[in-house]
Amino acid sequence: MSAKLTDDVAMRYADLRPGSPADAVPVLLLHGFGTHFEMNWRAAGWVQALEAEGLRVIGPDLRGHGGSDKPTDDGAYLPERFTQDLVALLDRLDVDRVDVVGYSMGSRLAWDLALRAPGRVRRLVLGGFGPNDAFAGTDLNAPGEGESPFDAVFRTVSALPGNDQAALAACARGQAARPFRSEPAPEGIPFLLVAGANDPLATGAGELARDRGGSHVEISGRDHANAVSSRVFRQVAVDFLVED
Amino acid sequence: MAEEHVTFHLPDLGEGLVEATVLDWEAAVGDGVARNDPLVEMETTKSAVVIPSPHEGRVVELHAAPDEVVRVGAPLVTFAVAAPDRPAAGIVGTVPEKEERPRRRVRLTPPDE
Repeated sequence: MSAKLTDDVAMRYADLRPGSPADAVPVLLLHGFGTHFEMNWRAAGWVQALEAEGLRVIGPDLRGHGGSDKPTDDGAYLPERFTQDLVALLDRLDVDRVDVVGYSMGSRLAWDLALRAPGRVRRLVLGGFGPNDAFAGTDLNAPGEGESPFDAVFRTVSALPGNDQAALAACARGQAARPFRSEPAPEGIPFLLVAGANDPLATGAGELARDRGGSHVEISGRDHANAVSSRVFRQVAVDFLVED
Repeated sequence: MAEEHVTFHLPDLGEGLVEATVLDWEAAVGDGVARNDPLVEMETTKSAVVIPSPHEGRVVELHAAPDEVVRVGAPLVTFAVAAPDRPAAGIVGTVPEKEERPRRRVRLTPPDE
């Protein structure tokens, strides 16, 4: 489905309801930079894992990504623009509260959503994410041309079919314009951080969990690109979301 | 019921990809799997994916270990599956097999009370 939510940017989203009980909290899945819902989540086994628990899955393609519109001005990609989209999407679907599972940029946006709309978020699972500057060492006027971890991500995703390199570069600059801060942390919202042990973009995740009262799981042998499909990640996330 | 062995080959992954690396098997030799159960986690140069089982059956052989590279079209896993019933004598041609519904593991069955 597709809808124009907060401005002229149409958002494509999936809303998958496997006959969940009325009181089950739906799960909002926020993909990473340069990917989209189908690729980041469904292809990596997440929809099946969540549906097996009877959970409703809401999966947007974030602005600039997948089947959603792709503006090319940096200002369209400030984190608050994304969180406005997400709140509008929940309103449209008449959903009060969700659990949010993010990966990479999606995790940062999940954190922001919990800060801006704490009443709409019950629990957070943040994958492939740490408190350090994800763009460290990157020339954001020429992303993908250097040797930083983000340059490597940019090169991989800008080669994917359907991606618009100018929109992705604008997205990176919009995100970078609001550096992540671990303080304040979302209050009263339990969170779980999960990352590959070899993921440089998740550096500091363990300390963030310790300092802010979250949980942390490291997946041995995995990096930023391949932790997302890990069975361990899916299992710990599902357990975290369904526990009483 | 009669069994037969069916080998599943690495399908075309699109986007010009010719190979993928096994990250982790989600089923072991001897395991029973339902159609669409998570079978193997693989990584290409583009992304990491979980390939679901195309069959209901029992795993009899895994053709690649974790970290091994598998070419598109190469054998990935062999299943023992229930052999389809033969058409009754006198009927010419084959009866279309009924598409099996994927078994879902939704825990929502109401208690038997």
